[in-house]
Amino acid sequence: MNYHLNFAFVWRYFGRLGWGLALSLELAAVGIVAGIVIGLALALLAQGRGRVVRGLIAAYVEFIRNVPLLLLVYLVFYGIPSAGGFAYDATTSFVITLAVYAGAYLVEVFRAGLDAIPRGLIDAGRAIGLTPWQRTLYVVLPTMLRIVLPSLSNAFISLFKDTAIASVIAVPELTYGANWIYTNTFRIIEVYAVVTPMYLLTGWTLLLLLRQLERRFALRRS
Amino acid sequence: MTIMLKALPFLWQGLLVTLEVSGVVVVTALLLGLLMGTALTYAPRWLAWPVRAYSDIVRGLPLITLIFFVYYALPALHVNIPGWWAATGALAAFETAHVAEVARGALQSIHVGQTDAGRAIGLTFGQRMLYVIFPQALRRFLPPWINTVVDTVKGSALVSLVGIVDLMLSVQQVIGRTFEPLPLYVLGALMYFAINYTLSLLSRRLEARFAYVRE
Amino acid sequence: MSGNSGGPLVRIRDLRKRFGANEVLRGVDLDVARGEVVSVIGASGSGKTTMLRCVNLLETYDSGSIAVDGVEVGYSGEGANRRRRGERELARIRADIGMVFQLFNLFPHLTARQNVMLGLIKVRRLPRAEAQQAADRWLVRVGLADKLDALPHELSGGQQQRVGIARAVAMNPKVLLLDEITSALDPELVGEVLNVVRELAAEGMTMILVTHEMSFARDVSSRIVFMDAGRVAVEGTPREVFGAQAHDRLRTFLSRIEMRH
Repeated sequence: MNYHLNFAFVWRYFGRLGWGLALSLELAAVGIVAGIVIGLALALLAQGRGRVVRGLIAAYVEFIRNVPLLLLVYLVFYGIPSAGGFAYDATTSFVITLAVYAGAYLVEVFRAGLDAIPRGLIDAGRAIGLTPWQRTLYVVLPTMLRIVLPSLSNAFISLFKDTAIASVIAVPELTYGANWIYTNTFRIIEVYAVVTPMYLLTGWTLLLLLRQLERRFALRRS
Repeated sequence: MTIMLKALPFLWQGLLVTLEVSGVVVVTALLLGLLMGTALTYAPRWLAWPVRAYSDIVRGLPLITLIFFVYYALPALHVNIPGWWAATGALAAFETAHVAEVARGALQSIHVGQTDAGRAIGLTFGQRMLYVIFPQALRRFLPPWINTVVDTVKGSALVSLVGIVDLMLSVQQVIGRTFEPLPLYVLGALMYFAINYTLSLLSRRLEARFAYVRE
Repeated sequence: MSGNSGGPLVRIRDLRKRFGANEVLRGVDLDVARGEVVSVIGASGSGKTTMLRCVNLLETYDSGSIAVDGVEVGYSGEGANRRRRGERELARIRADIGMVFQLFNLFPHLTARQNVMLGLIKVRRLPRAEAQQAADRWLVRVGLADKLDALPHELSGGQQQRVGIARAVAMNPKVLLLDEITSALDPELVGEVLNVVRELAAEGMTMILVTHEMSFARDVSSRIVFMDAGRVAVEGTPREVFGAQAHDRLRTFLSRIEMRH
């Protein structure tokens, strides 16, 4: 093996990795927030409304979950603008894709969370005279959010890893940065020797932080 | 519309490659994943720890990053295997870790009393696995395992990024000739959807069927 | 495997075990002769179940010895050659020791008949037809002639436990270990199980029972052992143990039990 490790190249361009990681986290954060908004709205909508509405939501969820994310990214970035006659930049396109993607997964999470709320809580809300909207806002949502917190944590960490796909449309996140350094220096081993721990440590740190959060807020289902 | 019809033969070829890659990965990941899952549940620490480390590291990376790394690192280390094997191997390594987790979950859900009863009548470890544990773990293994198969088919789309002409790359090649991205991406999506949705339904049906057999 | 017709069938000497900081067994000594029925009673945490599970090495022990029919269960060899037994050796030894569990632990994917046959085929290596005959015979003996092809979830708790007894006894063990076998049963189902045990005792099966059923223990046992804080505190015939009640802790324990029964 005539490969001599030389990390100097990697450190010179480390900014791309550091900022790339930051962007990955940002994208994941925006993705999870948007996903929560979409997922929650659809989950509430699907409760007891007409079969048509629930069917449409199911179709959306099934489509997103069974199609590769890569294809969705291309579809949104290249496919839609060609039909609409407009263009947007890669990052915006990816954020939209990620939001739609996260939303589909989170609808299921929220539906399960809503189902898990003990019947008695809703009855109690009725009994003290809250309107349906007040019940949703003050009883159902807070309870449900605490139940789904572990699932949300896992979803966020997954999304963080999914942001690597953005590299294919040249969004300058961490994997793109790694590939850039590789194509310009051919230091494949060194780059990935640095990037791998970056992904791993970030993931585990997120896991630890989120577990702390859960410990404070999550409701254990009995 | 005609574009879509004309594209079908090319997409069909790509689909075959997708199925080929997915097939190899599914079989490999199943065999190795079952072994690893058993090791994670039953092996002594010196064996379980490396397996655990492998599983955590491989699952802690994005699949696309793993594929890039394996694909470009091997030639740099003078390991000259064809790109197809590098990419498929990376995907297989990734999915093996996931199958191992599914297997571990299924095995750990078996009540420890079953192992006690098996030992009490004098069965060896292998006999216990074969006649007592695996038959029970099977029903908790299959539905989530099918989900990993779906993930494999979706993950296989990433091999298009290293030049393997699967369904994903076929779609892009046709787009390159016809300049009609939207209908072709939609068509490709529907083809992936057809395969994966069928698998999802199978998984759900199995889950429901197994739920009727009480423990 | 040698049988020493002279000494006790089960010989436990200075058995010690700790779980972390907790010393669960603090030097247990117990002899069980062939054909004896020994009931072990005591409060939870006294170590009785742990001791029982050490006899067929479902639990390991830290020091001391347990010998069944002259063969040390956990170790082989003497002095410098003494080593822990491997899985295969243990499997062979366990085949001669039967155990019935509090939670039955029947194999849920096998019928009653198959539950009993599994050990006969795979461990005793009987041909299938012979194994089935033996299994059927035992299941009929415990009163389950019409349930041979039933799956465990189709059986009541008492029926499941009787299958468990059949499964253990069909292996023709030298000694039968019974770990609180009626504690998980509804009261009305306890009798059918105890009757089976009574019959086995009458036929001379050597048994060690861990139990809460005081009147049953008094009836069927040749000896009662009261364990307290990891040791044998009181030992004797049922009359001696239940009659005199000289031991403080035993008296307290029994009075608590009487209140529940």
